[in-house]
Order: sequence, then structure tokens, then C-alpha cells
Amino acid sequence: MGIINDDGYRKVIDRQYREMLAQCKTHMDEVERTLPEPIEDFQLLLKERGVSRRNFIKWTAVMTGALMLPPMFRPMVARAAENFSRLPVVWLHFAECTGCSESLLRTSYPNIDSILLDTISLEYHETLMAAAGDQAEQNLEKALHDFPGKFICVIEGALPTGLDGKYLTLGPKGKTGLELAKEVTSKAAAVVCIGSCSAFGNVQAARPNPTDAKSISEALNIKTVNIAGCPPNPINFVGTVLHYLMFGALPALDNLGRPVWAYGKRIHDYCERRPHYDAGEYVEEWGDEGAKKGWCLYKMGCKGPYTYANCGRIRFNDAISWPIMGGHGCMGCTESGFWDTMAPLEKPVSQAGIGVVGGEHTIDKIGIALTGLTVAGIAAHAGLSAFRHGKCDKGE
Amino acid sequence: MEKILPKQEWSVALRINHWVMATSIFILIATGLYIARPFTVAHGETVNKFFMGNVRFVHLLFGVILMFIFIQRVYLAFFSRFHADWKDFFAWTKLGNFWKQIKFYTLISKEPPAHTHLYGPLQSLAYAGLLFMLFLMVVTGLILTGAGYHGGLLRFVYSILRPVETLLGGLVMVRYFHHVLMWCFILFIVVHVYMAFWYDIILKEGTISSMVSGRVFRRSH
Repeated sequence: MGIINDDGYRKVIDRQYREMLAQCKTHMDEVERTLPEPIEDFQLLLKERGVSRRNFIKWTAVMTGALMLPPMFRPMVARAAENFSRLPVVWLHFAECTGCSESLLRTSYPNIDSILLDTISLEYHETLMAAAGDQAEQNLEKALHDFPGKFICVIEGALPTGLDGKYLTLGPKGKTGLELAKEVTSKAAAVVCIGSCSAFGNVQAARPNPTDAKSISEALNIKTVNIAGCPPNPINFVGTVLHYLMFGALPALDNLGRPVWAYGKRIHDYCERRPHYDAGEYVEEWGDEGAKKGWCLYKMGCKGPYTYANCGRIRFNDAISWPIMGGHGCMGCTESGFWDTMAPLEKPVSQAGIGVVGGEHTIDKIGIALTGLTVAGIAAHAGLSAFRHGKCDKGE
Repeated sequence: MEKILPKQEWSVALRINHWVMATSIFILIATGLYIARPFTVAHGETVNKFFMGNVRFVHLLFGVILMFIFIQRVYLAFFSRFHADWKDFFAWTKLGNFWKQIKFYTLISKEPPAHTHLYGPLQSLAYAGLLFMLFLMVVTGLILTGAGYHGGLLRFVYSILRPVETLLGGLVMVRYFHHVLMWCFILFIVVHVYMAFWYDIILKEGTISSMVSGRVFRRSH
């Protein structure tokens, strides 16, 4: 596009970024003034965990790039990371497997994302907190009382809404998930749904959905930031919180409430196996020649073409690998209702059986049957027409 | 004495529209089936192969042609210099004729219904349905194409159509409807071609050749 090389255009963009940077600085000053002091000094903590200053600077460059900001924001990302633990966080668990927490906290060696998450000022986290019973309840009440409208509410898990929400009760007072979610989210500065359960309902909301589980935004009718994925990448969560710290506002969201900087493009668009897709080279069977050569997994049911996520660029487990690199197709876990719409997971969607009417039959089978019936009908009609109209001609 | 008079039925623009649309639809079905169920091109180096890429290019090219052909068809329906036929799509509202047409098709009656519109009552419904199907096909196609383009006109169109994608339940459901619609097109083609030949044989008015020459031959007494 020629317009990008245009000097006037560049000037406008540069000015906008400088204004954004000034805004960011003002906001960071305010954060440092109003929010409580960090419990631990982040730079000291990095040193203790064996992360060099150089690595930290490299990390800020990666994070700035991931957030789609120009390099001039790197000092701001570093500053936001240092202030990361000032932001009070209340972390709620509903109907889920805690896999998202596991994914965020487990790493083979301490990288900066996991250290950030270790230092995060968790006022309440059902899996990680030391407190139990009434004491835990007090922590939550204290957080709601001390930081009204200032804390971030992170939610993991869907909300069962059947039986007035009684499929899910928790805590010593036997509150339903619905009650707790309503109480906490009404006082939160922002609600971040982590994982596809809280974002879209995930497996709990898959057909036939016996507990009538719903996503947080549906169940409570509120706007949420959806860090989709099963589990999501820690970077997507850290980046969103950094953005909130830096600008005091949530990043731009797409139609499904996912941050555009992380979920703006499809798996297919950035897949390392994409050239094999375009070449017409497909794995036909697990372990065949194509699989050994790393060909495209489209015919093995890869849902990359329908899935918006940055897995291929950010990768998992300290950026070691990700599903498609490991030789299995994407299963589309960042899309809403993926258990129902993306099934079967190891076959292309064109070979999916159609729900109620079709049973196990695919669209193509039904289509061929209908076409066959039509042709048979036509043959019968043609025969009858010849009989009826043919006789007529003789009669004349 | 019986006379057979030629009558101009289809304008040049409409005939071109018909055949370009037919060709596009055939090519789109063939390439679309490959995209849904590709076979592996085993021989040769990856760097020299671009089969799926080429098939997708042809599919998208004819998809865009189909979109403009659809727009032209709707334009002709309202603003054709010879016969703007938008009213003929409502031939089915004449219920008496509708009933007669069904009796004629089911061979109960040998008398065709009166020729009040350009299309017969059932034909008008089928063609209105075809235009609606074309509209849905173009919209779902634009969404599926636009998702892979991050700049240019397609991205712009996609950003407008994104709410439709969300409404349908994501790209995977958009693909599903695109695939189901293809089968609707195949069924339409089978019935459409048969009916054209049937008319040609039963009424002997030159229905088949009329889409090439533009003329039908009506008997007058």
C-alpha cells in the first residue's frame, strides 16, 4: 500500500503514538500514586530467579511487539511490568478444570510471564490461597471493601444457570456461582474471562448442556474481556493486564470480546505448515510419509482455517512448541461453541455428521441422496410425460 | 391456419448473464468440492507445487465474477432497457394459475396455464429462491475469503460482514452454510435443466434454444 510510505501519513501516525505515549505516562503516574506499593521489588525478584536485565529488556521488546505497539513503548511496558503487582486481582473459579491456572503457573524454568503471575497481587484465588473456609471468605470481602471499582476480576469457568444456579455452590456460606459472580463483578473495574469456559461456556455448555451452563457475559449480561483458549496462552492474559495498566483501558476487542492484538488473525494465516496447504500436500493418516515430512493437517481435522488465535506466533511451554508444530491439527478452542461446531476433532468439518436430522450422515451423503432421489423422480416424470403427452399426439 | 411466430424473450444482457452465471456455478462447484475434500499432490517438491493455491484462486476469481453477475442480474430485474422483469418474480401470487401449473406439471391436466408473466408461477418462486441463494452464497463466500485477507478491499468488506459471521456461529458455521447451499444449487440445476428440456419437448416452443438465440416460437391460431 503506497499510503504507508507517504510522509504526511507517517507524521500523523507518529503524532498519534506520541500522544498515546504521553497518555500512557500520565496514567502510569496515577497508578503509582493511587494503587498500593508492590509487595516485592520486581527487579530484585528477577535477579533472585536468575533472569538477567538483558533478558528482561528482550522480553519487553517481545511484549511491545505482541501488543502491536511501536518500540518507543518499551520503557512503558517495563514500567507496567514493575507495577504489575500493584493491581489487585480477584480470581474466581466456577465450573471448570483449573487447567487455565495450571497453564499459567507451570513452566519448566521461571520466565518473566510466570514471575509476573507469581507476583500478581492476588487478593483471592481459590486454588492458590493459603486461607480456607471463613478466612478465605474474609479475604474476598476485604478485597471488595478495600478496592471497590479498582480491582480486576479474573474468572475461570462457566456459570451453570439451571436450577437457579444450584448446580454450582461454593464457599462456607453455600453461595451459588451466579450470586458470587454478580456480587464480585458488580464492583470490579474490569472482568477478564480466562479460558473458553468463562468466555463462551466451552464443554459445559456443549450439547445437551444439562446444567444450562453459560458464559459469564451471557449469564450476567455484562461485557467481558475474553482471553479464549483451552487453555489460553499466558502471554495473552499478561499482555491484556499490561495494556490495562499502561492505558487504564482495555485493549480493542473483536465481536466475541477477544483482544484484537492476540486474536486478530487466524491460526491458518500464520501456520508454519501453510505452504503445504497451498501446495496440496496433506497428511492422510497418522504417521504416514506426509506426517513425517510435516505436511498440512487439514485432512486430519485441523480447524486452523476457522480459528482466530496467535498460538503459532507465541507458542506454548516457554515457546517450545504448539499443537500444529507437534503434529496434531488445531481443534479450534478459541472459538465459541467449538465442541459442537468443530467436532469431530480429528476429521475435517466437511465430514461431520449432521445433528438431529442426519444422524451420522455428512452433508455430502445427504446431498448425493437428495440428488439421486431428484434424478429418480425426474426419470419417473419423464416416463409418465411420454406416456401422457405422447398418446395425445397420436390422438391428434 | 396455425402460424408460428418468433418472439424476442431474452435480451442479450440476460443471455450473457445466464451463461456466465451457469459457467461460474459449475466451476465453483468443482473447485469448491476440491477445497472441501482435497486429494494430495504427492509428486514433486513443495516449492514447485501450488495446486490448492491455484484451485483457491480459480474459486475466488469465479466467486467474485458470480458476485458481479448477481449484482448485474438484480440490476437488470429493475432497470433493463427491454424488459425489467422484477414484477415477473411475483407470478406465483396468481393462485388460480399456480394451481393450474401444478396440475400441468403433475400431468393431471394437459393445458398449460395462461402465459401472464415472463415466468410461470412455480418458476417465479424457483428463480426468486435462486437469487436469494446467490445472495447467501456471495455473503458467506465473502466472509470465508475475507478472513484470510488482512488488507485491501476484501478486508474492508469482511469488517462489515463480521457481525454476520458471529451471528451464524463463527467461520466454521459460515463454511457449513456455504457447503449446504452448494447442494441446493446442485438440486436447482438438476431440476432446472430437466424442466427446460421438458418444456421444449412438450410445448415445442424452442425453450432450450431461446437462451442462445433469445427467441421463443409461439403458435397463434
